[in-house]
Order: sequence, then structure tokens, then C-alpha cells
Amino acid sequence: MMGNCKKENPLNLWLPLRSLLRNRRRSALSITIIALGTAISFFFLGYIQESRSLIQQTTVNEFGNLQIAASDLWEDTADGYTYLLSSDQVDAAEEVLSADPSVVSSTAQLQFPGLVAAGDQSRVVRVTSLVPGNKALGYGDHVVAGRDLTKEDTAAVLVGRALADRLGLTPGSVITLTLTTVAGAYNATPLRVVGIFRFTSEQVELQTLFIPLSYAQLVLSTPGVDRLIVKLDNIAATNSTRDRLQIALDNRALGLKVKTWDELSPFYRQLSGLFNVLFGFIALATTVLVFFIILQVLTLAFLERTREIGTIRALGTTRGGVFRLLLAESAWLAVLGSLAGVAAGIVIALAFNEVGIEWTPPGTLDPVILTVRISLETAIGPLAVGLAATLLSSLFPAVQMSRLQVVDALRVQ
Amino acid sequence: MRSERAFCHEQGPVFLKTSELTKTYRFGGEEIYALREVDFAADQGDFVVINGPSGSGKTTFLNLISAIDRPTTGNVWIQGVATGSQTEKALAELRRTKIGLVFQSFNLIPVLSAAENVEYPLLIQHTPKPERRKRVAEILGEVGLTDLARRRPSELSGGQRQRVAVARSLIAQPKMVLADEPTANLDSETGKQVMELMRKLNEEHCVVFIVVTHDSAVAAYARRRIRILDGQLQEGEPIESMASTS
Repeated sequence: MMGNCKKENPLNLWLPLRSLLRNRRRSALSITIIALGTAISFFFLGYIQESRSLIQQTTVNEFGNLQIAASDLWEDTADGYTYLLSSDQVDAAEEVLSADPSVVSSTAQLQFPGLVAAGDQSRVVRVTSLVPGNKALGYGDHVVAGRDLTKEDTAAVLVGRALADRLGLTPGSVITLTLTTVAGAYNATPLRVVGIFRFTSEQVELQTLFIPLSYAQLVLSTPGVDRLIVKLDNIAATNSTRDRLQIALDNRALGLKVKTWDELSPFYRQLSGLFNVLFGFIALATTVLVFFIILQVLTLAFLERTREIGTIRALGTTRGGVFRLLLAESAWLAVLGSLAGVAAGIVIALAFNEVGIEWTPPGTLDPVILTVRISLETAIGPLAVGLAATLLSSLFPAVQMSRLQVVDALRVQ
Repeated sequence: MRSERAFCHEQGPVFLKTSELTKTYRFGGEEIYALREVDFAADQGDFVVINGPSGSGKTTFLNLISAIDRPTTGNVWIQGVATGSQTEKALAELRRTKIGLVFQSFNLIPVLSAAENVEYPLLIQHTPKPERRKRVAEILGEVGLTDLARRRPSELSGGQRQRVAVARSLIAQPKMVLADEPTANLDSETGKQVMELMRKLNEEHCVVFIVVTHDSAVAAYARRRIRILDGQLQEGEPIESMASTS
């Protein structure tokens, strides 16, 4: 009597697992190799993710999540200060912003170049004027001496630590800012240093001054601002909010364009690209290494069982059935090795984070503690690397073995 | 002592037929005939013993009729279906459902227990687990291995392993069992037990048994004896009465 089910059992997991356990030393070696590759990927990806996140946060602190300005400001095609936004444009844009669920707050900003002088020293700077106490972009948390700007301040300035060191400034010092007004006339104003801020970038500390927006408009002789800074509730919502706001602004024909924090920071984009290349290289190197070692191990392991494979084919297992059986065996290896690798990666990362190695990145003044992120998100990539490398390496020997002629396989001693 | 009529009582129509079955191999540009234009037929319930010297083509013949090898020319019909025109997948289905194989060196899967080895053909047929378990228990009882069901092949004697192999060949209730030197690795007493088992199963289940052997003692169990010499079959006389007299 024939069997009453025509469909072949597609994938039994117990036979492959037992096959794996028949040569424990070899299986343990394979799992160790896969785990090593996965752990290396996990460690580097965790480090890259943590660093990227830190730089993201720094960039958002510097630029806000979004900035809204006239197109000719972004394209650098303005003649003089023609890009400045009128009060009507600002009001209309703020109306759009207030209607968006992801926008937490916004503030107007006006930037302009200037020359700062203290004693016999001077330096070209970029002056950023903002509304003191605004909730979208502030440097209060970065003040290391003196205090932050307040609403009552007029001719007050916040200077970077590096600039303060160069010019010998302390809270209470007075500097002179020379600038060109919107109409093109020279102007100069004394500013009292109320506070000194630090930042992760030495360049920012050297080149940036913060003054109250109302005082900047006074010395520039304009009621305008050049952009709106927007803070969002979630950095992940940046692109979707940008798209939404752009549509809403276009509908009002305000001639404004929204840019995201990463569009505004070439440094971040370059670094992010470098991180991608770095992890891509590590993942590729790991995959290739694991691929070739496991390929050799599995080829040998499968070859040793040629007669057994011939037997199960003779008993009626199809080529596809043999292929799935061998693939399931390597899937066990892949899963066990990858999970062990993630576990090992977590242990190494915990130990690394515990040691707290410090490093001062180029262009910064303060050391940062090197940290490896440990999260489910970090584990996904390395798991995929371990699984893919192992499964790919098993394809060739599994196909070869499944295509053996039964009679030839049975002859092998 | 065996019963007077020691074979299946319900001999049926032709189950297996070969026509001008030829298998050649090429060695150094020369064509060697392993099997030459063999015509053969076996009815349902037949018990055929094939013997002959080494290299005579016995195993080649068995490989061809069990659909694990393809002939150079000629054809094999199993229940009227020509195997030569079948795909690999169809041949696997044929082996899975109609043919049981017993190998000279048992060919048990070392990582599986005796019961699991026997269960394997049912597993690849997708037979439900309760039925699998029931049938495995029954057949292990028939071959006298109930107590050793959980042992791995390495923990069994040669005779016990061959009995597992016989049980495996029968578990899917095939129409035909092909055995290649089933007693070659066994002592005479164990070999006798295995052959008795085959005879009993032939008698009770009306399964076609085709046994290739060197062992003259095995021939005593045959309904038909066939000799292969230089790749050609030489049919002996029907010997239905021989088994009852041995």
C-alpha cells in the first residue's frame, strides 16, 4: 500500500540538528567562527551607531531639526540681504508650524558676518542672533562660565570657549562687533560678554557668537529674520515632517524651502557616509571570512556523508528534500552561531563600555568616552551577516550533494 | 518447519518487467557490458533469488529495477509504468511508495535510533505522527526489535541492524522489496533469521522479494532462482517446493 500523503515532508528540524551533533568538535568550531564574525560586526556596528547618534544629536543641537528660509538663501544666490523674511512671511510660516503635530517649538534667527575685536586682537566671526529663552534652539546648556542670554539683555553676547581663550575674554569683558547693515553701511557696537559656551566642535567655538535677535535687528537696521528654526518631538520624524511642511508652505506660496538638519550639515553627511563604508567593509570582510571557512567545513561534512545521502535518496527523498535537509543543517549552524555571536558581542561591548576609554576626536576640544550601543537594532545587522554568510556558504555544497546520482553516492565507502 | 506452501497465496499480475535491459560503462574508450539485453518479469508475491559471481551484473540489475540507476538501453516497467521516461522526482516518488530497499551494509542513518530509522520512509511521505508511531511499533514487533527501538545503529549487532533495515524497507508497505546481499555481513544463524523474516513477510504481505546473493543458503528461500553470468540472466526451474523441504 502506498503512503497516503503525496507531499514530501518539507523540512524536518530534528534530523539536521542531530547530524550537526554527530561531529561536535567540528560543529563547535563552525559555531565559533560564525559567532566571532557576528560579534565583530555587532561590536563595530554598536560603536558606529552610538557615534552616529551622538553626532546626530550634536548636529540637531547646532541647527535644530528643520530650518525654513527663502530659496535664495539656501542657493546662495541672494544679492545682499534680499533673502530676509518679512513679518508676514514669518507669521504665515509660524501658523503652518503650529498646526503640525510633530513640531514642538520654533524660533526666528538672523545670522550675519562680523568682525569682533578685543584689545589689539580681532577675528572674523559669524553672529547668530536668536530669541533668548526660546525652546527651539538654545545654548544655555553649553554655558560653562557666566550665564545664558535673557530676554532683558540687549548688547550682550555669548562667546565660545575657544574664542574666549584666544581673545582673553571672561564674563564681563567688552568686545566690539563691526558689521555691515542691511543697507550696506558700516556699523559697530560694543557687546558685553555675559557667558562663555563650549561645544563639541572647536570651529563652532571659535567662529560663533550669540546675541539677542532684537539687538541684531537693531544694529543691522532691519525688522527681518533669515530663517526659522524648528524643533521636532522626534528626530526620526524629520523627513516626514519636512515633506508635510513643505507642501503646506507651498500651498501658501510663501517662497520658502524647508531643510533638514542633515542637509544643513555636510560634516554629518560625510561622516555618516564614512560610517556606512566602514561598516559595509567590516560586514563584507566578515561575510567573506565566514563564507569561505564554513564553505570548507560544510563541504567536508557533507562529503563524509555521501553514502548516507545516497541512502536517503534511494529511500525516496527527492533532490529538493536532500537540499532542504542540508540547508536546514546549516540553518541550525547559522542560528546558533549568530545568536552566540550576538551574546558574545554584548558581553564584549559591556566590558568595553565599563572600561570607559576616552578619545578626543579631531576638531573637538573635549574627549568623549568611546561607547558601544547595545540594542536590538544593533543586533539585527550582525545577525543578518552571520545568517547570510553561513546560508550562502552552504548553498554550493548542498546543491552539489543533492544532485549526486543515487547509485554513485551509494558506491562511496 | 515451514508450511508446505511457503509463499504468498495471492500471486497477482506482472509487477515488474524488464525488456532488453542493457547497461554499459566505458573504460578507456572500450564499452563494457555490465548487463546485456535482460528480459525479466516478476509477479505480485514473487520471491526471486538472483545469484552469480562477483562482477556478473547482479547489483547493476538491482540498481536498475529499483530506479536508482538508469539503463543504457532497454526499459523497466513497474506496474506498467516505464521508469526510463520518468523524472528524478517521479522516480523518487516511485521508490518512496512502491519499493523497499535492503542494502548489504545496512545503510542505516547513524544519528537516528532503530525506531527513527524505520520511521524515516513514513516521515518523507508525510504520514501523520500517530500512524507513524503505530506502524513503527508494529513492524519492530514483527522483526523482534521492540526492546531495542531506542538504540542507535552503533549499539546494535549486525543481525539486529539488518532487521532494522528490513523493517525500514517494509514500513511504507511497498509492493516490492529489493535486497542486495542481505546476509553478507551476518553470521549464518543471523542470516537465516533475516531470510526467515523475509519469507514470512512475503507470505503474509504478498510483497515481491528480489534478493541478490552469493549465499547458496539464501537460494533455498526462493520461489524462483535466477543466475546472472556476464550480464545475462539464466532462469532456473521454478522451485516452489524447495523452500518447504529445506
